[in-house]
Amino acid sequence: MKKMKKALSLGLVLSLTMALAACGSNKGNEAESSSSNAQEGKTKLRIYAQYSDEDTKGYYDYAVAELAKEMPNVQLDLEIQAQDDGQKLKTYAATGNLPDVFNTALDQINVFRQSNNILELDEYVDKLGFKDKMQPSALNTLYTDDNHVYAFPYAGNEMILLYYNKELFEQNGVKVPTTFEEMKAAIETFKAKGITPLSIFAKEKWPDVAFYDMFATRYNPAGISALDKGEAKPSDEAYVKAAQDIIDLVKAGMLPKGVTNLNYDQAAALFHEGKAAMFVNGQWEIEASTKALGDKVGYMYYPATDAATYESGKMAFSGGGNPGGYAVSANTKDKELATKVASFMALKYAEFKYTQKGSPIVSTKVDKPVVKAFDPMMEQLAKDLPNITSTTAFAWGLSNTKFKAAIEDASQALLSGSYTAEQFVSDLESAMK
Amino acid sequence: MNKFLGNKTAILLFTLPTIVLFTIIVMWPTMQVFYRSMFDWDGLSAGKFIFLDNYKRLFEDRLFYTSLKNGIIFAIMLAVLQIGIGTVLALTISNKKIRGRKFLRVSYFIPVVLSVTVVCQLWLAMYNGEYGLINKIFETLGIPYRQDWLSNGKTAIYAVAAVNAWQNMGYHFALLLAAANSIPEQYLEAAKIDGAEKWKAHWKVTIPLMAETYKFCFVLAITGGLNAFANMQIMTGGGPGTDTYTLTYMMYRSAFRVGEFGYGTTAAAFLVIQCLIVTFAINKLIARDRIVY
Repeated sequence: MKKMKKALSLGLVLSLTMALAACGSNKGNEAESSSSNAQEGKTKLRIYAQYSDEDTKGYYDYAVAELAKEMPNVQLDLEIQAQDDGQKLKTYAATGNLPDVFNTALDQINVFRQSNNILELDEYVDKLGFKDKMQPSALNTLYTDDNHVYAFPYAGNEMILLYYNKELFEQNGVKVPTTFEEMKAAIETFKAKGITPLSIFAKEKWPDVAFYDMFATRYNPAGISALDKGEAKPSDEAYVKAAQDIIDLVKAGMLPKGVTNLNYDQAAALFHEGKAAMFVNGQWEIEASTKALGDKVGYMYYPATDAATYESGKMAFSGGGNPGGYAVSANTKDKELATKVASFMALKYAEFKYTQKGSPIVSTKVDKPVVKAFDPMMEQLAKDLPNITSTTAFAWGLSNTKFKAAIEDASQALLSGSYTAEQFVSDLESAMK
Repeated sequence: MNKFLGNKTAILLFTLPTIVLFTIIVMWPTMQVFYRSMFDWDGLSAGKFIFLDNYKRLFEDRLFYTSLKNGIIFAIMLAVLQIGIGTVLALTISNKKIRGRKFLRVSYFIPVVLSVTVVCQLWLAMYNGEYGLINKIFETLGIPYRQDWLSNGKTAIYAVAAVNAWQNMGYHFALLLAAANSIPEQYLEAAKIDGAEKWKAHWKVTIPLMAETYKFCFVLAITGGLNAFANMQIMTGGGPGTDTYTLTYMMYRSAFRVGEFGYGTTAAAFLVIQCLIVTFAINKLIARDRIVY
């Protein structure tokens, strides 16, 4: 027995050693291949980009294919972006290992510009003529509050839409709500028929913030972005009322059970399968919803306290753009080249979205013909776009990180049904001190 | 033996690798935590020394008290459920007359070897407010006690703690079983001859003799509860709102979501002190003298 044990452990040690040796030799191979690439005259750049599902893979693959045509001497080394509030990126920065080009959001820009990790792009914007390529209405996505450029944007000013299933509303004789009273009536009818009135993926916290913002913008069009910039206080009437409205509707049974544990797949399934009458998501949901529900799906303007405020605030949307997109590390070797690649990637992302994703909501002008026609809802939104009176921000576009974390937690708590408006206000105030 | 212990160079030589590793991996980072907790620091740029301001802020922060309370609830749940049920199971299995002991012993230990993610997903499905097994059981039994377990701020922390308690109960069971089996049989026989009932004998003889193992189990369960993070990260994300925050989760939020590493390490520093005090107290209270048979 003892002998066998000895033999076994020896075997284990051996196999581990082999495995380790294998790892080592792999690295050796990589090094070799990179040097052979260098011989061919290719420059390698590390890029940090989203590449985790069909949607994001489409963008990246398209842009890389275009890049190969335009700059054949550049080879991109992809580091897949993690959905982690920028932690991976910050860790890279802290260890001096930031990729040459990286996809980034506003709060990381704010951190990196203080720690000198991000390249200020002002001169390159001029050099590359990037500003002329911007949509005039999306210039807010190029410049940060200090009037500098840190990233090449592509996303444009996106919106939060309140989607609804027209068929379910018609079948049950429910009027599309314009006021909270009508919303309550709709909730009661749907509940009686065993239909979930409204679905939201509240496990991720940003939809909760957006949902709260939908209500807040009924009272103050600047919504949460006024709180973020310190132009309003959580104890202002508008914000207390908005919280109370949500609490009332949640108590009336608006949400499915266990809503704060629903992820996108679960919440969207409820809506796509016709089990939920309404759904909250950004306008990028148009494609998926149209695919699932065809012409049965539409979006409504957010309901308000009364008919007059509904009409006057109809075009005050929640959501909006913020500086972000492809940025360049301050320590990259070839700044010219990295900047060129970053701006090229951003332009191609916008191009892909416009021509193949059926969305006109991009930061930059696109002069290529549309491959995939806009969905009917997108047509409607495109008509609404010029009339939009105001937008706010998504959670990831907030610049005050303390406020961001606090509003994320507090607006999720609002949906749990065991939270009061007073708690909401005092939690926000205490976190922002 | 004495000769060996007299050779100080040899002792130093043999313990040196461990001491060096321990210093680098445990002591140095722990000291860093205390040092960094006195900075206003975003984790990237050079921090600003603010001495005890972070601690002052911590004690005024409502989130801190929520986290502290949840940590204590978690620790108590773990201690009571894991050690309580673990004891009952261990004593039952240690009885040689019980059939299928081997099978039960292995079954109780299975959750321990499962990954925490797997266990959390399993329980997420069971807790589901609409189709979850637990609510279905209540429904079948006709008890109107259906709950929205994880989305209700009042039940969420207990629901999450129960999952951890269930998963790691087997570990405590294994420790306690080993302890129970190592007690010489004469003691129980003597109690039997004196006319003690089975459970009374356990209560008066077995359990007191297992005190040293209990000490270890309590330290594990309580510090484990105060440190809890993985279960809430996977199951609730600290939510709904902040209802399932613990100090570790608060540290995570401050450092990675808000970008205040200095303040995050302050929460961590408090946690370290808290765990040390608890460990010290348990060591003082239980099994102060070594038990030798």
